[in-house]
Amino acid sequence: MIDPNMTVSGLMNSTKGPWGPGSVRPGNGPDAIGISKTANSDDKKTGFADAIKDYISKVDDLQQSSDTSIQDLLSGKSEDIASVVSAAAKADMSFKLLVGVRNKLIEAYKQTMNMPL
Amino acid sequence: MEVNSSFGPIDIAISGLQAQGKQMEVISSNVANARTVDAGKGEPYRRREAAFTSEEGLGGVKLDRIVTDMSDFLRVMDPGNPLADAAGYVAMPNVNLPVEMMNLNIATRVYQANVAVLKRYQQMVEATLELLR
Repeated sequence: MIDPNMTVSGLMNSTKGPWGPGSVRPGNGPDAIGISKTANSDDKKTGFADAIKDYISKVDDLQQSSDTSIQDLLSGKSEDIASVVSAAAKADMSFKLLVGVRNKLIEAYKQTMNMPL
Repeated sequence: MEVNSSFGPIDIAISGLQAQGKQMEVISSNVANARTVDAGKGEPYRRREAAFTSEEGLGGVKLDRIVTDMSDFLRVMDPGNPLADAAGYVAMPNVNLPVEMMNLNIATRVYQANVAVLKRYQQMVEATLELLR
């Protein structure tokens, strides 16, 4: 069912994409090759690296909105504590999910690298 | 997966917190003005009440408007008061302090319940994220 080569290249791209020093551009490089290998994921335009990038930027947006709402509260611009709590809860929750996914990906990458060839 | 799809319960609980905050504001106004004989317009303070509406479908609560209680004023015998009428009665606000205290308790409990929902939801999400480990 699952082609082991596929999984390896996919995981390597995904870990390299968002965090590696040379992040993979979508559309060219090994990412595009990896996607073109599979038949069923061909119709999907966004790759895995794109999805991760998108998710990270969303988490970052939530963190920044949490930051600004805390600053507004402390500087006296706003007096709504509930909205600060809401922003902080959302930022906390999404960041925990991001860290969980990241840890899982790193773990998968390590497992792949330790695979005896 | 949409990131914002799992934030529904947070927004709803926060809307509950904000609504009860408003309710608290209304109650404090009522209590503070329980003896305001002249609130302008030549009549005593009229009791206010917050009217809430729910949002379309599944959603939070929001303040619709603040209505005034049109029930009769309390009439107190006080002939020495310059605002007393010919019979010596002074009209007092239609605020009933025990009722306000009851509403205060309800508002506090509902606020706490919303906080409990928020906390419990965060715990649920954390339990789900434990599965990743």
